[in-house]
Amino acid sequence: MPLLKIDDKEIQVESGTTILETAIASGIEIPYYCYHPALEVVGSCRMCLVQVEGMSKLQVSCNTFIGEVHPDRKVNGKYDMVVYTQNELVVKERKNILEFLLLNHPLDCPVCDQAGECYLQDYSFKFGNAHSRFEEEKRVRPNEYLGSQIVINHNRCILCSRCVRFTQEISGTSELFVEARGYNSKIAALEDKPLDNLLAGNVADICPVGALLSTDYIHKNRIWNLEQKPSICQDCSVGCNVDVFSQQDQIFRLTARENQDVNGYFMCDIGRYGFHRFEKIERISHPMVRNGKSFNVLDWDEAIKKTADLIEKSKEKTAGIVSPFHTNESNYLLGLLMKETLGYLPPITGEEITFPTKFRISADRSPNLRGVNDICGDLVKDFTSIIKTRDIRGLYILDDGVDRKLDDSWKDILAKMDFVIVQSYAMTELAKSAHIVLPGLAPFEREGTITNDKGRIQWLRPSLATKGDSKPDWEILMLVRNALHKESEYFADLGEVIKKMGDQFPNYSGISLFKIGTQGMALT
Amino acid sequence: MDFLGFIIILVKVLVVFAATMLTVLILIYAERRVSAFMQGRLGPNRVGPKGILQPIADGIKFLMKEEFIPAGVDKPIFILAPAILLIPALMTFAVIPFGSSITILGREIALQVADVNVGILYILALTSIGVYGIVLAGWSSNSKYSLLGGLRSSAQLISYELAMGLAVVSIILLSGSLKLNDIIADQQGYFLSWNVFKQPLAFVIFLVAVYAETNRLPFDLSEAEQELVGGYHTEYSSMKFAMFFMAEYANMITAAALTVTLFFGGWDFPLINETMLGNWGTALSVLAFILKMGFFLFLFIWVRWTFPRFRYDQLMKLGWKVMLPTALFNIFVTAGYLTIKSVV
Amino acid sequence: MAIITKSYEPTFWDRLYFPALIKGLMVTLRYFFKRKVTIQYPDEKYVPPDGYRGLHRLNKYPDGRIRCVACEMCSAACPADCIYIVPGPAPWEGGKERYPVKFDIDLLKCIFCGFCEMACPEEAIELTEIYDFSAYSREDLLIDREGLLEVYELTKNQNYYSRTDKSKKPAT
Ligand code: SF4
Ligand code: SF4
Ligand code: SF4
Ligand code: SF4
Repeated sequence: MPLLKIDDKEIQVESGTTILETAIASGIEIPYYCYHPALEVVGSCRMCLVQVEGMSKLQVSCNTFIGEVHPDRKVNGKYDMVVYTQNELVVKERKNILEFLLLNHPLDCPVCDQAGECYLQDYSFKFGNAHSRFEEEKRVRPNEYLGSQIVINHNRCILCSRCVRFTQEISGTSELFVEARGYNSKIAALEDKPLDNLLAGNVADICPVGALLSTDYIHKNRIWNLEQKPSICQDCSVGCNVDVFSQQDQIFRLTARENQDVNGYFMCDIGRYGFHRFEKIERISHPMVRNGKSFNVLDWDEAIKKTADLIEKSKEKTAGIVSPFHTNESNYLLGLLMKETLGYLPPITGEEITFPTKFRISADRSPNLRGVNDICGDLVKDFTSIIKTRDIRGLYILDDGVDRKLDDSWKDILAKMDFVIVQSYAMTELAKSAHIVLPGLAPFEREGTITNDKGRIQWLRPSLATKGDSKPDWEILMLVRNALHKESEYFADLGEVIKKMGDQFPNYSGISLFKIGTQGMALT
Repeated sequence: MDFLGFIIILVKVLVVFAATMLTVLILIYAERRVSAFMQGRLGPNRVGPKGILQPIADGIKFLMKEEFIPAGVDKPIFILAPAILLIPALMTFAVIPFGSSITILGREIALQVADVNVGILYILALTSIGVYGIVLAGWSSNSKYSLLGGLRSSAQLISYELAMGLAVVSIILLSGSLKLNDIIADQQGYFLSWNVFKQPLAFVIFLVAVYAETNRLPFDLSEAEQELVGGYHTEYSSMKFAMFFMAEYANMITAAALTVTLFFGGWDFPLINETMLGNWGTALSVLAFILKMGFFLFLFIWVRWTFPRFRYDQLMKLGWKVMLPTALFNIFVTAGYLTIKSVV
Repeated sequence: MAIITKSYEPTFWDRLYFPALIKGLMVTLRYFFKRKVTIQYPDEKYVPPDGYRGLHRLNKYPDGRIRCVACEMCSAACPADCIYIVPGPAPWEGGKERYPVKFDIDLLKCIFCGFCEMACPEEAIELTEIYDFSAYSREDLLIDREGLLEVYELTKNQNYYSRTDKSKKPAT
């Protein structure tokens, strides 16, 4: 293995890695723009220049490979390559590169949405000149829409071509290209093919500066006001890892979080803009009981007692219905609570989409169908017919807030019931027909584990605070169970539920939130 | 005493009372304005021209305030205490002659409410009663601060009354009478005959003692705000508090009048024989009295806004170790002088 | 280490105290006749010196556009966290593309440190000489964008109190 010396550090590296990769892996800072681990290397930004001993010019570290040299030609008789990232020449060259990049740059950070997470800003601050010697008129171009959701500010673009390579390599749609040459070159979309693929939102994320902007986030907030919390996208059963950016319990944007086992560096636009639908929901924030056509608000103790009483009265004839949108723990506890769980609310389906680099949008657009199948045993997809045939008089439905239209068969079923208990965060049709409504948590508020379609269990973490009186779904179910069976166990936290779940289902055993971590773990 | 005499006395009582109360009002105003001036401020200048109606606004405010009696106080005494303080303060003025006599319809009327032949003793007695007001107020309030204020006040008053009394004794030795009119008569003439020139030491002792007696700075330990919140009147509010206030100012007036009477020839206008000028002379004498008193009242305020407060041990040391021996020495000298004079 | 105690032995003259007392009385008497420093507030108003940090204002361009681009530098710099900004796309053609839809300052929280005006890259927010802006409720002391622009109109040409012309000073 070649021995590399970067500044004062000696590092053993695999033959064929680049200097930049090695530096990133060992925590040495080399600035770069055009390099992206998921994209082909082009070495066009020249930001990552380093000095390599024995080479007359500075080298782009993203495209300089390290290899074994002949023992006679080793530097100091020992090193295969000696790299300087901090010496005078490199520092001066970086200053020059940055000055070039900023020649036509508007420097309008105050209005730029990238400010605060902008590499141009950071590097200029760290490595750049405080002054520009450029005295000519700056080139000014108007903003353009590249697609329906993406705006480009040409003035800020540093022509790193990350966006172009993304459309070529990741989405495979090739909408973007560099138009013209030299001074006139700019990023443009094909005239007949705007940037409207389902991964388009990612270009705003990978653009190192504020040139590509999502219309969804533009001029909305500033990055330092937002709280960044790791979460899991809940819009399909791939379960992309995301970061939720929120301020005062309002989500402003989602971005992809790196997870090589699930989504790589990217996410699709369905999930990216999916959070908006939770902004409009009619939120339930208090336990309620039916009173004729309307509902009365209850406090929790009463609500739990009433629920338990109802179930107690017709224990044998009550069934539970789980949901593929809920966490494993909630579904599991409903199973414990009821004598039997019959089925699950219909999942949402769509078209399966695969991109050239294996990035995938699953046909199953509910996050946890695999978990439901794992945890809840023999469930019937179409449970409505079974209910019709069997003598079931009560239902406990773990509603997921998806606004399903109630068709006639549903209406028949609900009419047949003595009571319907719905646990939900939104006033869906189902909740409106319930006798007791128990307020659970909305998707970005809840915590628990979900299992994606490849059998990877991931930790869904809360990004927002709970609203009103609502409680975590698993806790509600546990309280009802405690009220129903006095001797049943009390779970102090999610971990205990997971443990109990593992005792019952061998492939979920030995799991803990700690082990799942931010990257999830594959089920055995 | 005939009926007319009775009416005359009644009128005199009313006039003196009204004048005292008016002076209290003026003093309250003056105190605020003078203190402000001495501190480079303007003071109250909003109510009425130059703010002269401020005391009336203050009075109205006091009347409107809630009459609050805290739980745990000794109620009868708590209510009585301000009166015990205020009434003697007003009564003292009765024996002080504030002018020579006027002649109306052939009747000669002395400008003095009561010509008591033990006038001095009467005054000393009444000021001592006033102490009860303070002590009782402090004790009945059932509050530490009040009690401390009351105790301080009583100890202070006893200590300084002694020196004050002894200073007065030397005056009595000179005039040979306890009657205030006699003391004034003794000082008639050109103004070197005033006792302040005959008895400068007694004057100084008396003046210092009077400040202590009236609880004014630099001897206001009984109401030292910085240590005792408000002193003996901490728990009082509204009109009862106002009564303490009025008593303090009434005491000041009496003290100023007494100082004038004992040491500055009373209503005597220097170098002029008022009795020869008839009623004009009387007017002149009243004017002289008012002017002299005004000066001492101003001095009260002036001193208050100039000097810091004594520490309690300093106060006691001054009273017992300096003032008392000095007063005794003064009596000794005076008496010796008089004895020698009578023998020679 | 030697302890040096400096003590002053009072002379007999000092011990008499009265000369010192009279000296003191003379000091207060002198002040009695001196010019008074009181400013009779609602009738006369104190005119703060230049650079006084009072009520904020939001500056405008001569054509009426708001200078502020809602970059939230000021609210980030604000140690009292009392500036609340909601940005949005600017309604006018040309010029900066972003402007504050909402711009509230909680004057009760503000400590008038002036960090906001120092942080502002657009010279949009400034502290003016206005100091008397009390109100009867907390809500009234939450000044909004319109209020801040109004303060600009009040103070742009002349000093709010002395009414002297400001135009002679370097314009912002
Ligand atoms: S791209 Fe970066 S440097 Fe350029 S204006 Fe935006 S934040 Fe500033
Ligand atoms: S738009 Fe952004 S990603 Fe694309 S070339 Fe310009 S700077 Fe690079
Ligand atoms: S003056 Fe200081 S405290 Fe007030 S708004 Fe500006 S930065 Fe905040
Ligand atoms: S006032 Fe200045 S600092 Fe504050 S948001 Fe506006 S432009 Fe930015």
